[in-house]
Amino acid sequence: MALPTIELGPMDRFDYIPIALILRDTNPLHLDRVYAQERGLPDVVQQGPLNQAYLYRYFTSLLHDPWDLLATKMRFAANVFPDDILTCGGEVLAVAPMEAGGGIVTCAVWQRNQKGETILKGEAKARIPSGD
Amino acid sequence: MTVDRTALIGRPLRAATYTVSEIDVNDFLGVVAEPDFAPADGSEGRAEAASGRFAPPSFAPFVAVLGLLKTFDWQEDFLFDYRTGTAMFGEQAIEFHRPLLVGESVAISAAISDVYEKQGKQTFDVIEVTFDIKSREEGDLLMSGQQSYILFK
Repeated sequence: MALPTIELGPMDRFDYIPIALILRDTNPLHLDRVYAQERGLPDVVQQGPLNQAYLYRYFTSLLHDPWDLLATKMRFAANVFPDDILTCGGEVLAVAPMEAGGGIVTCAVWQRNQKGETILKGEAKARIPSGD
Repeated sequence: MTVDRTALIGRPLRAATYTVSEIDVNDFLGVVAEPDFAPADGSEGRAEAASGRFAPPSFAPFVAVLGLLKTFDWQEDFLFDYRTGTAMFGEQAIEFHRPLLVGESVAISAAISDVYEKQGKQTFDVIEVTFDIKSREEGDLLMSGQQSYILFK
C-alpha cells in the first residue's frame, strides 16, 4: 500500500544558517554560493540532516504518536539546492502483529526533487497501537 | 599516494557529549516546523517549558550527526584532509530506544566498524561507524546505529 505523498518547498537558503549553527558545521559549501560554484556545484548544498528531518517529519506525521518511531535506515543519494521542491512518499512493506497487541509496520520511504531525482531512500519502522 | 584505511577497522573513537539544548531545538523548529512539538515561547517560564518536553524524532539525525562529529578528527582518525578532500554522508541507520528530551545531556560512544573501497564515477572509501547514544544522567540507551562516511580518493 502506497503512503500519501507530500510536497515541500521551495527550499530556502536562509534556513541553512540556523542549521549550520545547530550542527556546528560552517562548511562554506552550505553557505557560500561562490565557493560552491567554484567546486562545480550549481549553488550551495542543503545540509543532509535537514533533508532527513523533512523525511522524518513526513513519516512520523503519519503515526499515532511521532515517538512510535522504532528505527530508520536512510541512504543519501543526491544533493538538495535552494529553491528545490521536495516530495516525500513511501510504501508499506510489512506489518507484523505484536503479542501485546498492535503491531510493527515497516515502510519504504523516499524523498525526491522536482526533477524526479532521489535525494533520500530507505526504510522506517514504527509501532502501531492496537485499534489503529 | 593511496591511503589504506583498512587498518582503522575496530578503532574506538573518542567519547563525546552533547546537550539537547532548548536553543538548538527551538532553532530547529524555526526551520522544520513540527506542529506536535511547538517551541517554547517563554511565556510559561523557561524551566516549565523545558521540563519533560520531547524533542521531535526529526531532530534525532541532528543529534547523531552532531554527536558523531565530536567523536573523531578527520585527519587523525580517518586519515583524511577535510580542507582539500571531499567527504559526504553515506547511509545512516538508527534504532530508537526512547524519546529524546529537551535539555538532557547525552553521551556518544563510537567505533569504526568497517572500511571498504567502492567504485562509482570516482573511487571512494566508505567508513562505517557504529554508535550508541546514552543519557548521561541515567545511562539508559536512547539511540544506537551506524553512520557511514564517503571519502573520495
